[in-house]
Amino acid sequence: MNDTLSKEILTDDQIEQDLLKNINWGNKFKLWLAFLAVSLIICLYFYYQQIEHGLGVTGLHDYVSWGIYISNFVFFVATSLIGMLISSVLGLMNVSWVKPLARIAELVAVAFAMVAGLIIITDMGRPDRLLNVFMHGRVQSPIVWDIAVVVTYVAISILLLYIPLLPDIALCRDKLKNVPKWQQKMYKILALGWKGKAKQFKLMNNYTRILLILIIPIALSIHTVTSWLFAMTLRSGWDSPIFGPYFVSGAFVAGCAAVIITMYFFQKNYKLDKYITIDHFDRMGRLLVLVALVYVYFNINEIIVPAYKTNTADAKHVQEMLSGHESIMFWMVQLGGLIIPFLLILFRPMRRPLPLMLISIVILTGAWFKRVLIVVPTQLAPYYPIQNVPEKWTHYMPTVPEIAITTGSFILVLIIMSVLAKLFPVIPIWEIKEEINHNKN
Amino acid sequence: MNYFKYYKSIILICLCSLVMANVQAQNEWEVTTEQDKNLSPFMFDDEMVLEGKISYENSCTSCHGMPGQADYTPMAPPPGDPGSNQFQLQNDGALFHKIKLGRGAMPKFEDVFADDETWNIIAYIRSFNENYKQPIPDLGGVEIPKYDLKLAFDENVDKLVVKVFSKEIPQPEVEVSAFVKGTFGKLLLGKIQTNELGIAYLDVDPKLPGDAEGKLHIMVKATKGYALAKLNQKMKIVQPTIRKSAIEGRHIWSTDKMAPIWLKVSFFITIFGVWAVLFFIVFGFRNIKKAGREDDVMIE
Amino acid sequence: MSKANKNDKSRRKFLQNLGLAGVSAVGGTALLLQSCSDSKDSASGKKVKVLTQDNQLVEVDVANLKPSDKIKDLDYLQDRGREGIPGKKFVMVVDLAKCKNARKCMSACQNAHQLKPEMHHINVLEMNDPVRKTSYYMPKTCQHCDNPPCVSVCPVDATFKRQDGIVLIDNERCIGCRFCVAACPYSARTFNWTEPKDAKEFAEVTYDMELNVPQKKGTVTKCAFSADRLREGKLPYCVSACPNGVYYFGDSNEDLVTNGTTKKTVRLSELLEENAAYTLMPELGTKPSVYYLPPRQNKG
Repeated sequence: MNDTLSKEILTDDQIEQDLLKNINWGNKFKLWLAFLAVSLIICLYFYYQQIEHGLGVTGLHDYVSWGIYISNFVFFVATSLIGMLISSVLGLMNVSWVKPLARIAELVAVAFAMVAGLIIITDMGRPDRLLNVFMHGRVQSPIVWDIAVVVTYVAISILLLYIPLLPDIALCRDKLKNVPKWQQKMYKILALGWKGKAKQFKLMNNYTRILLILIIPIALSIHTVTSWLFAMTLRSGWDSPIFGPYFVSGAFVAGCAAVIITMYFFQKNYKLDKYITIDHFDRMGRLLVLVALVYVYFNINEIIVPAYKTNTADAKHVQEMLSGHESIMFWMVQLGGLIIPFLLILFRPMRRPLPLMLISIVILTGAWFKRVLIVVPTQLAPYYPIQNVPEKWTHYMPTVPEIAITTGSFILVLIIMSVLAKLFPVIPIWEIKEEINHNKN
Repeated sequence: MNYFKYYKSIILICLCSLVMANVQAQNEWEVTTEQDKNLSPFMFDDEMVLEGKISYENSCTSCHGMPGQADYTPMAPPPGDPGSNQFQLQNDGALFHKIKLGRGAMPKFEDVFADDETWNIIAYIRSFNENYKQPIPDLGGVEIPKYDLKLAFDENVDKLVVKVFSKEIPQPEVEVSAFVKGTFGKLLLGKIQTNELGIAYLDVDPKLPGDAEGKLHIMVKATKGYALAKLNQKMKIVQPTIRKSAIEGRHIWSTDKMAPIWLKVSFFITIFGVWAVLFFIVFGFRNIKKAGREDDVMIE
Repeated sequence: MSKANKNDKSRRKFLQNLGLAGVSAVGGTALLLQSCSDSKDSASGKKVKVLTQDNQLVEVDVANLKPSDKIKDLDYLQDRGREGIPGKKFVMVVDLAKCKNARKCMSACQNAHQLKPEMHHINVLEMNDPVRKTSYYMPKTCQHCDNPPCVSVCPVDATFKRQDGIVLIDNERCIGCRFCVAACPYSARTFNWTEPKDAKEFAEVTYDMELNVPQKKGTVTKCAFSADRLREGKLPYCVSACPNGVYYFGDSNEDLVTNGTTKKTVRLSELLEENAAYTLMPELGTKPSVYYLPPRQNKG
């Protein structure tokens, strides 16, 4: 029984009409896309500058050699993990209310994971030597593991987005006659001759199931390996055995928030209130409470243990966080970005669409800065003093090109999600039909 | 600390004598004939040059600069470049006494350097003059002996045995110094005079690591007055040592080729395993397509 | 001051026995020793020190050297740089009691490696002594760890450890991910954030990873123990430049280290033991090749 869907009786035709409505190239959308494209070109100009003049155009230096590019990379990988949690973990447990949200979650996963790979390239001093990683790849390096799992995760996520989309692509092929030629052709190819035959459904379900199982270890390892980029070093603040689960738990918080925001905009823009209901928001809010609770627990561990032992270097790091240079950002992120939003969504009215979406934006912003807090302060507290270098090397401030390139990554995510949402239905039509029929019977 | 005090005193002397220096600047710095004819009691050799270089750099560079570079400190009168002709045309004795006694801004080094140390500095200065040939005093017909050295190692007492001969006759009271040659320098084993049988014994630590055959590169020098002999020889003295490469074995930090087997195996099995499944699914698309067509055929 | 002629013969024979194709490189003359089989012709008397592949430091007459294109050949230099010098295990000892912050090491290093003023392969830090409530100066280079965390994390084998213990960077390979910078607990690595100093001037120079010059934009660089100098049997740039006798450098396989200022050679094990030497942060298990002698007041 699915009780999150609208109680209204909907016919199949009605559902198809509602959910295929978003597939059109309206002027409003063209304007939006043009805006995104222009913004992206501006950001790309800054990237061109970075290639021309070297990473020196950023605020990075020998002591903080990983800055917001890497924090942003961690953030993107984190956000993309939600695809695994919602479509796989909950899906395999037959939690039926997530079904309409599964595709949105996969969309978020694909977009963020793909762009994460690009962010890593923007952080490279020699992007022209990217092929060296494949030619001379060194199996002991966590970067090689990371590249391997990110690529794998993108592939699985794309397949997991694509395979359950087959019946809907076939529907687009059959029903949408007033879309451009190339689009019709694309549907025809991508539909793989889908006829809705029982054998086809069986194959689709089998493949989906394999992927749903496979994606769990891959998703866990993608973020665990990302955490190992830090945990495998000897620096205090990074040198922590709980970094893997710590990162994974944080990832679900960021991912839930991202999905809630995406849900909200799709619901409003495509008038999907019958399919993405207030009840969905309420449940996503509760899921967010759960994952945030786990994350708070890991945060306490990460701080209390070194703070208790006060081993020389750790003590310095913890002190910087709690009451030193980083304390303002630290408490803003912990209280403003995690604890307070978490307490708020405990109350039912706060889980209504608009407040929940706003809280999610706060959480997502907090999550982004949290990644900066993980990456930067540790480097500012090296074991040996920072001396005989320019004064600005004792702190870190991102520059305009750096911020622009980072913004570019978000724009790219928006472009990918917007375009995909214009080409394919964002709610699985065939599954909704099944659900409604099921409910009717 | 000593050095520091000593620097300070030099500066003080320099400053105090500036006034006097101006007065005396015009006069030639003359030495007596006797002083001028004074000659080094040692043959200048590489060791002396090296020792002299260190003394020179510690005490002379501040005013005279590097010999041959003409980078001396501008003063009145100019201290001059010891590598220049003007300097090199002077006799060894003149240099010796000028260093020793000083004048004006030039400090007196009599109390700083022992005579042999002063000769080291002269040896160093002379090393910048290709045409220099060390003058040897008239020894009244006495020939400078030519030494032959013979090395042996006495395992029972861990001593290097150096025998000094000249025309088959053992030479007593010859100063013998022995070194072990390393990559960047020589380890002094000892300095000792030969006994009446022309033999000098020098301790060698048997724990010194040798090469793969247990050999050490020994350098021996024997001097007495102007007589000088050297010998380089590789000798089996210590236990052979096997020199291991610093990158033996498989480690996390090894190159990819030498990566730990377990890591390589688990990495590639995981990656290939997952991708095999993905390709299986992608190839499975054909089955989906076929499943769509099969039914068509049946219906037709 | 040249050696006796009879030694030349044996040396020549020795070289022939080695088969001189194996001789790796020569001194700053940028010439390569190709063959000594035709060495009967007149010797010029000028000698260059050469390290053979067998690891013997031999002196060879310049007349036996021919200019060669090999030294300009990138592949040759790359292979040589990765291969290292067999049988050696280089170590440095830093006597903190002697460091007076003269910083000659830093400037010599920056000159040799084409570094900007804010880039340090060696950095003299002012450290607090929490017990005496004073400070002392500590030169900090790459520690050339025997368990190097920077090498472990490199994704492309661009930084690697050689058989002689030196950790080097191949900036023809480096992708600029800076994982090694993050992984090094000693902050020994520095990055070319912008176009390197004098990039145009060095544009035509063939890259030699042992010197890591020319530097390249977007790649990491760090202390190489002056691997290019070691090949010539010379002490590293910083070690030779120190005026205060702070640095000892040598081969731990021979248990000998030589002071860069006084050129005195001592036993490594004795030096470390007698002065209570330590390594930086031994608790991290990085096993550095750089030892420090404590910064006590020098009362001598």
